Amino acid sequence: MSHAPERGGPARERRPVDVLIAEDSKIQARMLIRRLEEAGHTVRWGENGKLALDLLRERRPDIIVSDIEMPEMTGYEFCKTVKTDATFRTIPFILLSTLSDPIDIIRGLDAGADNYVTKPYEPSYLLGRIDALLATPLEADDQAAATTLEVTLAGQKFRVKAGRQQVLNLLVSTFENAVAKNQELVVANQELSVARDGLQKSNDELSTANAEISRINAHMVRDLKAAAKVQRSLLPADDIAIQGTSIAWRYVPCQSLAGDFLNVFPLDDEHAGLFVVDVSGHGVPSSLMAVTVGRFLTPKVSDQSLLVRQGADGRVAIARPAEVATQLNRLFQADEFSGLYFTLLYGVLHLPSGRFDYCSGGHPALVRLPAGGADVEFHATESFPIAFVPDVEYEQKTLQLAPGDRLFLYSDGVPEAMDRDRNPYGDEAMAACIAARRDGPIDAEVTGLLEAVEQWCQPNGPLDDVSILGLEWRP
Amino acid sequence: MDQFRHIQTGKTGDIHIVLLKDKKILDDTVLDEIRTELTQLIGKASGPDVLLDFSNVEFMSSAMLGLLGQLHRKISTGHGRLKMCGIRPEILTVFKITNLDKLFSIHKDAATALATFT
Repeated sequence: MSHAPERGGPARERRPVDVLIAEDSKIQARMLIRRLEEAGHTVRWGENGKLALDLLRERRPDIIVSDIEMPEMTGYEFCKTVKTDATFRTIPFILLSTLSDPIDIIRGLDAGADNYVTKPYEPSYLLGRIDALLATPLEADDQAAATTLEVTLAGQKFRVKAGRQQVLNLLVSTFENAVAKNQELVVANQELSVARDGLQKSNDELSTANAEISRINAHMVRDLKAAAKVQRSLLPADDIAIQGTSIAWRYVPCQSLAGDFLNVFPLDDEHAGLFVVDVSGHGVPSSLMAVTVGRFLTPKVSDQSLLVRQGADGRVAIARPAEVATQLNRLFQADEFSGLYFTLLYGVLHLPSGRFDYCSGGHPALVRLPAGGADVEFHATESFPIAFVPDVEYEQKTLQLAPGDRLFLYSDGVPEAMDRDRNPYGDEAMAACIAARRDGPIDAEVTGLLEAVEQWCQPNGPLDDVSILGLEWRP
Repeated sequence: MDQFRHIQTGKTGDIHIVLLKDKKILDDTVLDEIRTELTQLIGKASGPDVLLDFSNVEFMSSAMLGLLGQLHRKISTGHGRLKMCGIRPEILTVFKITNLDKLFSIHKDAATALATFT
């Protein structure tokens, strides 16, 4: 047995004693043994009351510490056996109880226990109890002078045989247990109180932050609504009709604000202009750029319009599409490149002749559905998006339309629309869709293409803005 | 080496090799973070040569092209060179639609690209 240095305070000297433990839990027994040995005591351990009783008979201990719930022989039975034996009854007996039922105390008293400690206990608390019990040796005749008392507890009557000193000891231990539990409660209560104050503070901060977020959110929703309204003004008038043409368009932004926009309008008595613009990205930055670009693409004569200007003779001069693209590219290079850019397909149709002059800035191919029954044509242009590369001269192309020819301008949200496995809708499907409806009106064709794209993107719907503009030349 | 969330960087001679870690470059937040990380990396060097490796990238929004445009300008202004490699056919389509495959120097793989930095 190891004898660790004494740990007791200077006020009370701790005398090494011989302790007998009865405990069926190996872990709890080992912990208890270690603490007792550290305090300098000699310890023996039995795994139940019966084994502990054998150890007791081998050598008389100074004190017994016993668990209650054990196989073979319980703590009560062990205690009763010790306390009814004239040789051993003066050995102080401490019961370790996990039970919080007050009736257990009565049972312990009836078994003759001198003291009890409720689990879980502080080891130092148990050591203190041992010292206290040993400080007042039991009178040998205490049990002999025991009287039978009648006790009523929790509505039950008990007849308990107990000695005077035993009752006093147990009373003291009950009180001490209560005090110890109370102290634990006070500490727990203080900790709770601190935690509650912390929670309250966090809660207050959260409420403040929440109110702020709500306020900002309301503000943003209002701004977004205003911006969406501005964006709608970039689209063709609802009743758009241009002599000598049939026009149809569909525009489905994937968020409340789009990077796409399109328009078709008369430029003068003989010319119609049409375009689709697709600003990279979505949401607020893209839509702001769309609105800015839109200001330059107005058919109304103004300082800003790149499409038309007042000539020296007072007549309206229509800008060539390539010139419009080149100018836009120059204008949007002015600042440090924001990372936003756009693609554009802009064309001018000469209504009497069917001559279509157009220019593409990195935009998907112009599609023509020839009247008669020939295949759908894709007219791609090799050019960079607008605002991407400085000082580019954009190239202009011309397409001579035949009466009944249809043109389709669209954003990449059409061919690039992805199905659930991320396969793009593609040019071929688009050509097939357009060809299939060639005998119907152009409006049915544009609507049919939009529906085909939306169908392709099931179940999630398009992830990009979808714009489609169709025009049939009918001189 | 692992100071960045979206890019993994290495060096061969004076050439910065930048591997994009993300499989998907779709939302604006990721895009902004990649932009910040690339700026941090390139900002330190003057006239850097950069090889951008797209091998991990399976899906990419067209807004990424804008970022590449910025990077291209920044590097060209400093008389450096930007090259790209490991671009999947699906993603190359995004470059082709806008003809940016003709603006950028695009190579099959890192080895081929590195050989052109002479």
